[in-house]
Amino acid sequence: MTDMWVPPRLSASVALLLAANGVQAEGEVTLHTPRGFGYFIGDSFAHEAIIELDPAASLDPASLPRPGPLTYWLELTDSTLEDLGADAMARRYRLRLRYQTFYAPLEPRMLATPGLSLAVLDGDRRSSVQVPGWSFLMSPLREIVSTRAGASLALRPDVTRGAHDLTMAHRVAAASAVVASAALLALAWVRGWGFGRRHRPFAAAAREVARRLAATQGPEGYLASLLVLHRAFDVAAGRRLLADDVASFLDSRPGLRGIARETSEFFEASRQAFFGAGAEPASAVLSRRDLAAFARRLAKLERAGA
Amino acid sequence: MKIMPDNDATLADWRGRALELEHEIGKVVLGQERAVRLVTIAVFARGHVLLEGDVGVGKTTLLQAMARAIGGAFARIEGTIDLMPADLVYDARIGEDGRPRVDPGPLLRHGKELTVFFFNEINRARPQLHSMLLRVMSEGSVAAFGREFQFPYLQVFADRNRVEREETFELPAAARDRFFMEVQVTTPQDDRLRRSLIFDPRFHDTVSLVREVREAVVDHTALGSIAKTIQHSIHASDAIEAYTTRLWDAVRFPERNGISVEGVAMDRLVKGGASPRGMSYLVRAARVRAWLEGRDMVVPEDLRAVFPEVMAHRIFFDAVYELRRDTIAASLCRAAFESVPAP
Repeated sequence: MTDMWVPPRLSASVALLLAANGVQAEGEVTLHTPRGFGYFIGDSFAHEAIIELDPAASLDPASLPRPGPLTYWLELTDSTLEDLGADAMARRYRLRLRYQTFYAPLEPRMLATPGLSLAVLDGDRRSSVQVPGWSFLMSPLREIVSTRAGASLALRPDVTRGAHDLTMAHRVAAASAVVASAALLALAWVRGWGFGRRHRPFAAAAREVARRLAATQGPEGYLASLLVLHRAFDVAAGRRLLADDVASFLDSRPGLRGIARETSEFFEASRQAFFGAGAEPASAVLSRRDLAAFARRLAKLERAGA
Repeated sequence: MKIMPDNDATLADWRGRALELEHEIGKVVLGQERAVRLVTIAVFARGHVLLEGDVGVGKTTLLQAMARAIGGAFARIEGTIDLMPADLVYDARIGEDGRPRVDPGPLLRHGKELTVFFFNEINRARPQLHSMLLRVMSEGSVAAFGREFQFPYLQVFADRNRVEREETFELPAAARDRFFMEVQVTTPQDDRLRRSLIFDPRFHDTVSLVREVREAVVDHTALGSIAKTIQHSIHASDAIEAYTTRLWDAVRFPERNGISVEGVAMDRLVKGGASPRGMSYLVRAARVRAWLEGRDMVVPEDLRAVFPEVMAHRIFFDAVYELRRDTIAASLCRAAFESVPAP
């Protein structure tokens, strides 16, 4: 309740000669404080001090107050210093202080926070700047002698929960869910998750063919590679692709037309290998090296969007 | 099996003649390249063919032209509801001398020279006739006049139109399974062909049209041996055997093979059929097709080219789906080829 910011109520200009210390205090401090009344035990309040120094001077961070108990009833819970930079006129700092009071007054009572002294460094010169203290009025929470029957310190009942209207929140949540799933679908479409069209069968086939051909030198690797490519063609065509269907398949995939000759060779070799005289004559049509190159070529064209 | 060099020459020579046969038929039957090709395959696989189609699409012309090009004797009978087996075998009439005579009927008249027997509208004939025909088709023989008549060169063609259903007898499953192929003859789709079929007077008189076909392009007595040579010479690899078996499995148990046809409960679609005989017919037809394409090996395309005609009528569906047989069977065959990996 004390966080509410009140425009400057207390402005202290400090430009005093502290002759007693023989140190010249310099700089100007403007202290912005909240209201000075209506505080109860446990309340916290914030101060903001704008400190203006000579352009060449700076605050010594070591002289900042450390958060912790200041007196038995007052605690500094937070203190931050912000450098606002310097111009030709002055160097400015903003010091934020947050206090919490634990004083339990029996009747309204004026209390005060202590002032602060901050060290200023200007070359070799050392001086200080004063942040003034601040006084405020605290009030008791209960009467001194109970006027009611029963224990004066009996706990009051908890505040009953209010029923919040969640209709709007539900609507917002549902709308967000719809938007999120639509976005997910769009992303899936772009990335090709679960959409067969953008799947890249030839890329996987090219890797597999390279692996199989490297694994064995015999006809098994060659036959297995042919099969791998057949399955990739099947996936790309969306059905089982036979040699006689190659022309119509290439018509539907104009990007692959550039390798029509190689594709026919592949199907011819496969025909020889599986249905004709075997892998030997087949590799005369399409050698192992050409087969691997064909697989890579397909994968490359596929990447290019063919 | 390795191809012998002389076999090779014979096969190449016969392939030339087979293509010539196709060409001759193609001169008089327009826009039926697929049907002509399939019938040619049946001729060289020595299988019997059931033709199906609308009235007036050229089924009879196709068969007459084929019979003329093959050579040998041709007999024909129209199926009617009162036709009995004896009418095929015997010709009972009153002779010129006024006495009853019993002569050989249309089936026996040409003796063993009978090459093409054409049974028109087979579904109008009674089951008794169907069963007699079964024996003629599977054994090539018939008993009459107290002895056995043999037909070594006989090929049976039958046709059936699907327009009428009154007074017809559906062919029993066993009879359908005996047919090597069921070929659908449809109206040509090409506009130019259709126009000439309608306007060209050449096509108006089918009798003189069929006479344009050169007679005896092939020697019908040699067909049996060349058919055997083809079956022995065209190579079917292990891969094609495995592929064929998987195809068989796919049409027999489509649900296990992940095949689905729209609007059909796949687990109860196929009730039976796709017999081993059917599969052997399929391979026979595929070998002939490979030979006609000039190959010495069977490839999946050969199976695919003949599959619907050879297999579809052997697959028996649940009664609920029989009425939609044509579309479902076509989809099932297509789905099988789209799902079984080749090789």
